[in-house]
Amino acid sequence: MDTLFSNIALGLTVAVSLSGLFYCFLGVFLGTLVGVLPGIGIMATLAMLMPITFHLEPTLALIMLGGIYYGASYGGSTASILMNLPGTATSAVTGLDGYPMAQQGRAGQALFMTAIASFVGSIFGVILLAGFSVPLSRVALRFGPHEYVALMLLGLIAASVIGSGRSLRSLVSVSLGLALGLIGLDLNSGVARFTFGQTVLFDGLPLVAVAIGLFGLPEIIASAGRKEIPRVHEGKIRLREMLPTREDWKRSIMPMARGSGIGGFFGALPGTGGLVATFVSYAVERRVSKHPEEFGNGAIEGVAAPEAANNSAVQAAFIPTLSLGIPGDPVMAIMLGVMMVHGIIPGPTVIQDSPDLFWGLVVSFVIGNLMLLVLNLPLVGMWVRILKIPYNLLFPVIVAFTCIGIYSVNYQVVDVFVLLGFGFLGLGMRALNFEVAPLLLGFVLGPMIEEYFRRALIVSRGDIGSFADRPIAASILAITFAILVWAVVSRLVSAGKKSRAKEADANG
Amino acid sequence: MRFVFNRLEDIFAAVITAGIGIFIILEAGNYRMGTLTSMGPGYFPTILGWSMVVLAALMLITSRVTGAPQMAGRDQLRGMLFVAAAFGAFALTIERFGMIPSITLSVLLASLANERTKPLVGLILGLVTAIVCALIFRLGLGLQIKAF
Repeated sequence: MDTLFSNIALGLTVAVSLSGLFYCFLGVFLGTLVGVLPGIGIMATLAMLMPITFHLEPTLALIMLGGIYYGASYGGSTASILMNLPGTATSAVTGLDGYPMAQQGRAGQALFMTAIASFVGSIFGVILLAGFSVPLSRVALRFGPHEYVALMLLGLIAASVIGSGRSLRSLVSVSLGLALGLIGLDLNSGVARFTFGQTVLFDGLPLVAVAIGLFGLPEIIASAGRKEIPRVHEGKIRLREMLPTREDWKRSIMPMARGSGIGGFFGALPGTGGLVATFVSYAVERRVSKHPEEFGNGAIEGVAAPEAANNSAVQAAFIPTLSLGIPGDPVMAIMLGVMMVHGIIPGPTVIQDSPDLFWGLVVSFVIGNLMLLVLNLPLVGMWVRILKIPYNLLFPVIVAFTCIGIYSVNYQVVDVFVLLGFGFLGLGMRALNFEVAPLLLGFVLGPMIEEYFRRALIVSRGDIGSFADRPIAASILAITFAILVWAVVSRLVSAGKKSRAKEADANG
Repeated sequence: MRFVFNRLEDIFAAVITAGIGIFIILEAGNYRMGTLTSMGPGYFPTILGWSMVVLAALMLITSRVTGAPQMAGRDQLRGMLFVAAAFGAFALTIERFGMIPSITLSVLLASLANERTKPLVGLILGLVTAIVCALIFRLGLGLQIKAF
């Protein structure tokens, strides 16, 4: 118990310092600001704001990035409730019932409950993070390269297969990402791979340019030509009119609790994260509800539960990232990438060697969520006004900031062209129904997985069977393999059935 | 023929995937393979290349009926062209002319991506954005990007 208090005290000294508070605030503020813009998702927000954090010291950079992340997920649900224009799939779930509530003039209550549910979920997630990370990192200290290879494979394959309707395509995305991650000098042999004689590529592709290209550019382009902007259903959005009724509270408490639990569970698992958590919690609420017919027509449970689940998952996702160094989703991959840019080698040693970073981050999450509560309840009118800025005047400015942001990282013009190239790659992939998120995960993990694979085989003298001799590695690999087989088999079965049916349709 | 046409999207995706996989295998052939005990720089890429070829084959076998791939609409095409031009213009002018001309041009180009924005409005928006950017990034944050 003593250590917990001293750890929290340590975290407080980091997070409550003037710079800690400032960058935490800047993060949540900018995250909400960009996240609230219709059509701009969490990944795009994070990628576009990432350059700002590169000039900070690592702890502050992570505090700010974390703030951007959960700030953006707060902002995303605002746009989703008021305009039914969700930036991400997770906030789309909130919009299922949030938007109908707004149409009925209950936007205020929906926003209020969203803020409360997000806060409750976040705090639950942070408690899990504080409680589980340290013991998990102790276990992980005993892991060898075999276990790491197994865990990374599990993360990659789970992330591409679970929750994706097209698992083969996602596996292709992961492979492409892994391959792109290899570009540059090979650490062991010093050979330049896939650089085609371009010296600028020797350090590999810049993470920021890749991320903005894949996530930001397609979203900007998709909404650039948009002519009509949906009406904002604001109703009365002043704090007094926003207060939910007693009935609302009563109906929301249990969904929030269940949502937090579901979110914490899925968030901590590799490869699932917020999306699966929100869908599952929405489905659970509809099943246990006494009036399931209200779902989709403005049931407050349908807002409270997914929001709590999403934010709980957001925080819990930091558990594997910080204690094992293995990111569960692309957002965490970016966090990990940023840690590496700052020279921190992700893994269980981070918590042991720099407790100030870990506990500073944990405490800053609590503070950041408190700030968001203030930013989203009394000041919600500000975000509503931002939603009303004509989009055709807003996005050119976003383009300008993105240009300066990407250029300021290395002062390299090439980075802008890399961004453009990946933008077109992202557009092409979307057109062919490939998901881009697994690509980014593969891109970040590529060099690490190769390195650990190489080390594992050096340790065991080239014996590939050594993976089976180690119980932890073997069982993780068995799970991974089972997921893979299940994905391929279910695809084979359904492809046959559906195609025959549809073909009969198309030809008939 | 109809069999192929109905599955065009999946087949197209599979062919591209296989192409990339084969390209990776060929390129990795230029690097030393090494052995399992001491893997050379070519080992891992070769595994990746082959797994992409296998995935492509699986995609081909399981190709579903989707109909022809959707083409981008006119609005999207216009958006793509002008936004790309905006980034390109920034990249080509920032080092020679500095932030204010470069940002003005790129915001102007980006704003033309939307049909509703008139060029004059875009130009004014560009100038304002450029000046604000110069103030924030040059004076405020002290980035090493010249204003002119």
